[in-house]
Amino acid sequence: MADEPMTTSTPSESKSTLKLMSKSMYAKEAALRNLFLLCATAAVAGVALIFLFVGVRGWPIIQDPGLGAFLFGKVWSSSTDQFGILPLVTGTLVITIGALLLGAPLAVGTAVFLSEIASPRVRSVVRPAVELLAGVPSVVYGFFGLIILRPIIANLTGGLGFGPLTAAIILAVMIVPTIATLTEDALGSVVPGIREASYAMGATTWQTIYKVLLPAASVGIIDAIILGMGRAVGETMAVVMVAGNAPQFFQGLGEPVSTLTSQIVIDMSYASGTHRTALFGMAVILFLISMGLVALVRVISNRKKEG
Amino acid sequence: MAEYRRPSTRGHLLSTCPRTVLRVVLACALAVSMLALSACDGSSASDEVIVNGSTTILPIAEIAAEQFMDENPEISVLVSGVGSSAGIETVTRGSSDIGTSSRDLKTEEETLGLVDTPIAYDAIAVIVNPDNPIRELTTEQVRDIFSGRYTNWSELGGPDLPIGLVNRDEASGTREAFNKIVMGDETFDIGAVILPGTGQARAVVTDAPGAVGYISLGFVNDDVKAIVIDGVVPSEEAVVAGTYPVSRILHCFTMGEPTGLVKQYLDYVLSPAIQDTVVRDAGFIPITAKEAFDG
Repeated sequence: MADEPMTTSTPSESKSTLKLMSKSMYAKEAALRNLFLLCATAAVAGVALIFLFVGVRGWPIIQDPGLGAFLFGKVWSSSTDQFGILPLVTGTLVITIGALLLGAPLAVGTAVFLSEIASPRVRSVVRPAVELLAGVPSVVYGFFGLIILRPIIANLTGGLGFGPLTAAIILAVMIVPTIATLTEDALGSVVPGIREASYAMGATTWQTIYKVLLPAASVGIIDAIILGMGRAVGETMAVVMVAGNAPQFFQGLGEPVSTLTSQIVIDMSYASGTHRTALFGMAVILFLISMGLVALVRVISNRKKEG
Repeated sequence: MAEYRRPSTRGHLLSTCPRTVLRVVLACALAVSMLALSACDGSSASDEVIVNGSTTILPIAEIAAEQFMDENPEISVLVSGVGSSAGIETVTRGSSDIGTSSRDLKTEEETLGLVDTPIAYDAIAVIVNPDNPIRELTTEQVRDIFSGRYTNWSELGGPDLPIGLVNRDEASGTREAFNKIVMGDETFDIGAVILPGTGQARAVVTDAPGAVGYISLGFVNDDVKAIVIDGVVPSEEAVVAGTYPVSRILHCFTMGEPTGLVKQYLDYVLSPAIQDTVVRDAGFIPITAKEAFDG
């Protein structure tokens, strides 16, 4: 690739349109073009290679124990060679839904506040604070959950405090920046005329937000929530620390559950054979889930453009 | 290479090409075989000690190896954790010099000519919250607690408080030992909380009134209460005397008596530099503690 600018720059007669450009300038342009192409290719190749690698390593799960036993098996137990991920999938689902129920209203509320209500001065404090939430390492969230939140939940539920409730609360805070930032963008891109028209008609701030802005930005907000969901599904470290990691079906808000990601991180250090294959299989499932979510965002956004 | 030479005259090609090719092939073969030799012949090299086996012993063996190599730069000690059984197998086959094991030899392994150098005691304490009035349990009761048969402390003569099981992840050596010594054929309750570290397990038991867990005896502190098992107070003295039931000995096996570098390394592991620091830091009890109590 490094040689390319040299070879493309020398036969200048073939590119008559670029006569006005000096040879060195042309070489620089070509080099930069190729550099950026390389960047984009690297990202795509990274995704493709990871998916390929994970897929190849996880593929044998289809023969042993079989796709049905893997996806719908009710027992995850490496000591008895049973690798059914249904309890883990339900655990992931319960925690994710919980996180969205708690986090999405919080985040959308924050975004509405930032975009419609807050004075520029307040905004200049709140917005960086929300963005900072995204920068806090997930292990810190997990530690906070383990030390501060878990005992409180333990008092409420009577157990040890590990479980979907604790995990959902922590994840709810973690997905706020994702959803809030994207929702604020969506609200900001609402045509200003609509907002002004609403106020001009005598609508109050709340009426404008509720009846005009939120419906107008609904597609963007749904996209934001879906991407927040992707973050919740994939979060690992914080969940490992507070979910309890017991691979059982949902027993209650205060009873431990495990998720796809936390089970992978707990098992990977010692897994071998079918167990290891099953972990790669779970990675494929996670990959498919996030691909599905991204696809969903695409579909919804495209429909908006057409409509 | 052939294409590159094609333009030259035919006679020239015939006379030189085979010789060059032969030379290159020979060089390649030599390089490959040297690589292969150096890769697989490591164990017989005079300045290497290969230590293989138990993942429980891995941290001790690794730190000991690092410090040993710092003091003896000409010797290299290679340590890997593959499990006790694999460790015993490799030392028997001769592909390692020391096989570390957290279990005793099986009957069929006793006749293989392996010599045991015990390096530490691994004892596990069953811990509860200090406010829990339960002081003493039998091994059977502990087993039934962790298999989920008991769900409330009142069934064991304690307060009406649900039992909160704190288990360790399956990669944990403590769990493996506890499973083998206490659980036997019983399986852990699937509803138990699984925590990936001793510190976390202890922290949870410290502030949850109904919690019960297990950690290496060396990590017990005043924040938790270690349960008396089968009438024996968990203490170093009881472990060394062999009366505390939830304990095991960590071994280093060699084929025949250890000699040369292997002996040098094992002596280092048994020296206070390792026993009083690394072994203790890992939560184990030094094998040298026995002499202290005997003496």
